[in-house]
Amino acid sequence: MSAFHDDDMLVCRCEEVTVGEIKEAIRQGARDVTGIKRRTRAGMGLCQGRTCERLVQQILRQELGTVPEEIGASTPRPPVRPITFGTLAGGDSE
Amino acid sequence: MKAFDTVVVGAGVIGSSVAYHLAKKGLNVAVIERGDIASGTSSSCDASLLICDKKPGIDTKLGYESIMLYKKYAQEFSYDFEFAQRGSIYVCETEQELEVAREYAKAQADDGYPMRMMDKHEIHEVEPNLADDLVGGIWTECDASATPMAVAFAFIEEAKKLGAKVFTQCPIKGIKLDEKGHVEAAITDKGEIKTKRIINCAGVWSPEVGKMVGIDIPIKPRQGQILITERTFNIVNRKIQEFGYMLSKFEDVNYTRKVSELVEKHNVAFVIEPTLSDNCIVGSCREFVGYDRKNDIEVMQALAERAIRFVPILKDVNVIRAYAGLRPWVVDHLPIVSGVEEVPGFYIAAGHEGDGISMAAITGKLMSQIVVGEETDFNIDKLSFSRFKKAKTATN
Ligand SMILES: Cc1cc2nc3c(=O)[nH]c(=O)nc-3n(C[C@H](O)[C@H](O)[C@H](O)COP(=O)(O)OP(=O)(O)OC[C@H]3O[C@@H](n4cnc5c(N)ncnc54)[C@H](O)[C@@H]3O)c2cc1C
Repeated sequence: MSAFHDDDMLVCRCEEVTVGEIKEAIRQGARDVTGIKRRTRAGMGLCQGRTCERLVQQILRQELGTVPEEIGASTPRPPVRPITFGTLAGGDSE
Repeated sequence: MKAFDTVVVGAGVIGSSVAYHLAKKGLNVAVIERGDIASGTSSSCDASLLICDKKPGIDTKLGYESIMLYKKYAQEFSYDFEFAQRGSIYVCETEQELEVAREYAKAQADDGYPMRMMDKHEIHEVEPNLADDLVGGIWTECDASATPMAVAFAFIEEAKKLGAKVFTQCPIKGIKLDEKGHVEAAITDKGEIKTKRIINCAGVWSPEVGKMVGIDIPIKPRQGQILITERTFNIVNRKIQEFGYMLSKFEDVNYTRKVSELVEKHNVAFVIEPTLSDNCIVGSCREFVGYDRKNDIEVMQALAERAIRFVPILKDVNVIRAYAGLRPWVVDHLPIVSGVEEVPGFYIAAGHEGDGISMAAITGKLMSQIVVGEETDFNIDKLSFSRFKKAKTATN
C-alpha cells in the first residue's frame, strides 16, 4: 500500500476532493467512509464513490491505524446507476 | 468522565447550535452523540433557510430571526457553512391557488416580512425553466440556504473553541435524578457524567431520552424522500416550491390539488433547490411510516412525476442518488424549546419538523437564554412543553 503524503493529490475526481481535505476531515472527527463523505463530499458525485471509496478507506487506515471493518463502506443508496427523471416517472426503474 | 455544567444530547443542527450558544454564555458544556455529528435527520434533508413555508406569527418569527443570525455567523465563523441568500419562489398552478397565495403573502407582508406576489411573466423571467402554464407565485426576498451538515460542523467547531467537549459514538443510556427529582448525572457507555442540566436535542429520538426521566414527549417521525440530480447547468437559480406544499404540510389549508393518485397517496409536493456543488435537491413527501429511512420506489416515481410537471427539462436529467429522512413532527407544527417543570434541570429543544435547519440558530440562542435564566429575545410561551398538558386538560 502506497502512503498518502501528497496533500494535493485528488482522491475523488467527481467532487474534486484532495488527500489534504480528507486528512482535515479526520482531524475534525471523521472515523469512517460516511463521516468523510459528510464532511468533504468525497463519493457524492456522479460515480457515487465507485472510484474513490477504496482510496478513502486506505487514507483512513493510514491516519487512524484501524482495521477495515471499523472503517465501513458508505451506505448504498438507490438508484443503482444514474436514471433520468423521465424514465423514473414512467415507473421504469431497476 | 468529569463533571459539566450542562450536557447536550444529540449533535444534529439543533444540539450543535444549543452547545455553541451555551458555551458562548460561559457554560462548561459536553455534547454526547450516539453516532457521528449530523448523522441523524440533519444529514438527510434539504438545505433551505426559509420563512415562506411558515405560518404567520411565531412560526415565521423563528424562521426570520434565525436567518438573520445565520447571516451574521456566516461572517464570524471560521467553518464555511455555505450560506447564500438568493430568495425563494412559491409557484402556483391555478388561479384558485393564486387566490390563497395572495391572502397568505398579504398577511406576511402586513407583519413586515419581505414577501410579495410575482405574476406569470415575472416568474418565467427569473426562472426560465418553469413550465409555461404556471400562473404566478410568491417571492420571498430574505430566504436563504446553507449546507445542513456544515451548519452542524460549524456550530460544533465554534463550540469547541469556547471549550465545549464533544463525545461521539456515545449514546446516553440513562439519567440519574437526585432525591428531589433534579437532574444529577447522564449515564453513558463511557461512564457517568455529573451534571445539573441535560438538554434533550435528539430530534425524532427525543421521546426515548424523555422516557429516561419519565416524561412523554409527543414527537413522531414524519418521513420525507429526496432525489439528487447529477451536476448540471443551472436548472433553477434558487429554492422553488409548489404552493401545494403548504397543503402537504398543514391540514387546515383549504384547497385541493388536481394530482395523480400516486402523488396524492404519498402526499408529494414539488420542491427543488440548487446546491453550491451544482446538483439539485428535488423533493418531497410527508408520510408517517415509523422510523423507516429507506427509499420507496413508488415514492421516487411520484417525486419524479411531480418534478417534471413543474420543471419539464428535468425529464432528461439524471438522478444519481436518493435518500429518506425523518422530520421530528409535533401536532401543532411548532418545536418544543423549553424546560420541563416536573424534572428540574431537564430541557427539550426538539420537534422542528421540516424547519430544523432554518430554526437551529435561533433555537440555540433561545435555549441558552432559558438555561441561564435570562429573558428570551421574544415571547416563546407557545414553544413550552407544558402546552401539551394544557391541551390534555382542555380535552378531558
Ligand atoms: C426530506 C427532508 C427535507 C427537509 N428539508 C428542510 C429544509 O429545507 N429546511 C429546514 O429547515 N429543515 C428541513 N428539514 C427538517 C430538518 O432536517 C430537521 O428539522 C432537523 O434536521 C432536525 O434536527 P435535530 O438536530 O433536531 O435532529 P437530528 O439531526 O436527527 O439530531 C438528533 C441527534 O440525536 C442523536 N441521538 C439520538 N438518540 C441519542 C441518544 N440516546 N444518545 C445520544 N445521541 C442520540 C442522533 O444520532 C442525532 O444525531 C427536512 C427534513 C427532511 C426529512
